[in-house]
Amino acid sequence: MKELIAYDDAVDLLDADHVAVKKMFTDDNAVCEKTSHAAVKRILALATCKALTIHSQIEKEIFYLQVREAIGEEALMDIALEEHAEAKAVIARIEGMEATGAASDATATGERVPISLKARNARLDLRGMMLPLLKRQQQLKKKNAVATATATATPTAKETA
Amino acid sequence: MKALVYNGPRDVSVNEVPDAKIERATDVLVKITSTNICGSDLHMYEGRTGMESGRILGHENLGVVIEVGPAVDRVKIGDRVCLPFNIGCGFCANCEKGLSGFCLTVNPGFAGGAYGFAGMGPYSGGQAEFLRVPYGDYNCLVLPLGSEEKENDYVMLSDIFATGYHATELAGVRPGESVVIYGAGPVGLMAAVSASIKGASQVMVVDTHKDRLKLAEQVGAIAIDDTEGGGVDRIMELTGGKGADRGCECVGYQCCNMHREEVPNLVMNNLVQTVKATGRIGVVGVFIPEDPNAKDKLAKKGQMAFDFGSFWIKGLSIGTGQANVKAYNRELSKLIEHDKVKPSWIVSHELPLERAPEAYEKFDKREKGWTKVVLKPGK
Repeated sequence: MKELIAYDDAVDLLDADHVAVKKMFTDDNAVCEKTSHAAVKRILALATCKALTIHSQIEKEIFYLQVREAIGEEALMDIALEEHAEAKAVIARIEGMEATGAASDATATGERVPISLKARNARLDLRGMMLPLLKRQQQLKKKNAVATATATATPTAKETA
Repeated sequence: MKALVYNGPRDVSVNEVPDAKIERATDVLVKITSTNICGSDLHMYEGRTGMESGRILGHENLGVVIEVGPAVDRVKIGDRVCLPFNIGCGFCANCEKGLSGFCLTVNPGFAGGAYGFAGMGPYSGGQAEFLRVPYGDYNCLVLPLGSEEKENDYVMLSDIFATGYHATELAGVRPGESVVIYGAGPVGLMAAVSASIKGASQVMVVDTHKDRLKLAEQVGAIAIDDTEGGGVDRIMELTGGKGADRGCECVGYQCCNMHREEVPNLVMNNLVQTVKATGRIGVVGVFIPEDPNAKDKLAKKGQMAFDFGSFWIKGLSIGTGQANVKAYNRELSKLIEHDKVKPSWIVSHELPLERAPEAYEKFDKREKGWTKVVLKPGK
């Protein structure tokens, strides 16, 4: 059976994804308050970082690209990309360290509403944009799952010694 | 133009800012002639929301149309219009159902937009000389000829009259029923008026401010002074131990006990006690999902210890949320036009915009006699 798309348009889809990622951060923090297991905290933090990376990537590659062309507000779009870059740096830091706490909330929010609103008000096929967004999201999730499985299956030098 | 700008907690000022202007073809530009300070402005004023500094406050607005976008059909230059505090598009799934307070278009990622309000979109407020009104044909209530004389009445349609009425709708008030209203602020007082319009047999208003309770008495309500904490007993006494048929919550998350300490669950649990079994509660007081500056641990996360066991065993039901102003403002304006109600009776101060910072300070301190402030930009 053909899968139905539950979102109204690209803005709706990205908003829902944004909320889902934000909830992961909140849930991580709640778990980290209750547990002292560094390994558990690290697994949660990495999963959240991956979800945020995918969210940021599809937003940047597809949504922002088309919105920039449609609204022509370079400064606003540049600020949004700067926020993405900051989030990316935080993610890299979390992924690179022996995390003992939850992932910090690095979701870019500052410019989000104005851009979403401007996108809605622009001559832009936001409904047509949903399919490429979903397709790319699934592709990245699949790639991430394969990478995680490979990393888990490959023994570390310490383990093989 | 001059506008009241939020700088930070308890810091507002009237500044010179860029003029509001038509930005989209469906916009209307309004020269503001009356704009109220609302109790919910105080949540922002006190720094208890995520309000960004530099933004213009004011969501209770009325004025004269001075410009319309090329796609505006109905509204004309020179029309006197009252603007619902919530901004709707008119065509989304919620607006189509009359739920304009939960518009899905104007504030992506959230259901609902408003002027000059934290988390309700990037729209500037109307405590200013001019206001941009999106989707003007949908959002402007065009007032009847001669409305100038009753401007302080009509401006209440933008929020508090409609919100008070909404409380009674959510509570399901019907003729002959008894109603308990917590909060004798402007919204609670409007709920009392609305309950009377609907034919309630007994309207009880609970508060700790004597000046406000006096206003409740002026519209025929039974004023219950809860300063000493005997409010619940008094309501039970007045209703023969059964409780009121309906209850309205018109206070919100910053409700205080008799010692002026914030107790976020106080009113909600008092309503559970004072509304009769199978009764219904309407909640229009503002509650928020996060309150980082709250002292209470649960309140920080937007939660409260609610007497759900009593609520359930009594078979109570509840309705919540902001008023869909457009669902009521046309009919309520007829009541003003035909002199059936006079909401301006609660206005305590009419001030020029320049005195807004002083008004915020006094209103926030709940200084005696400061019940409702109407600002008059340009006067």
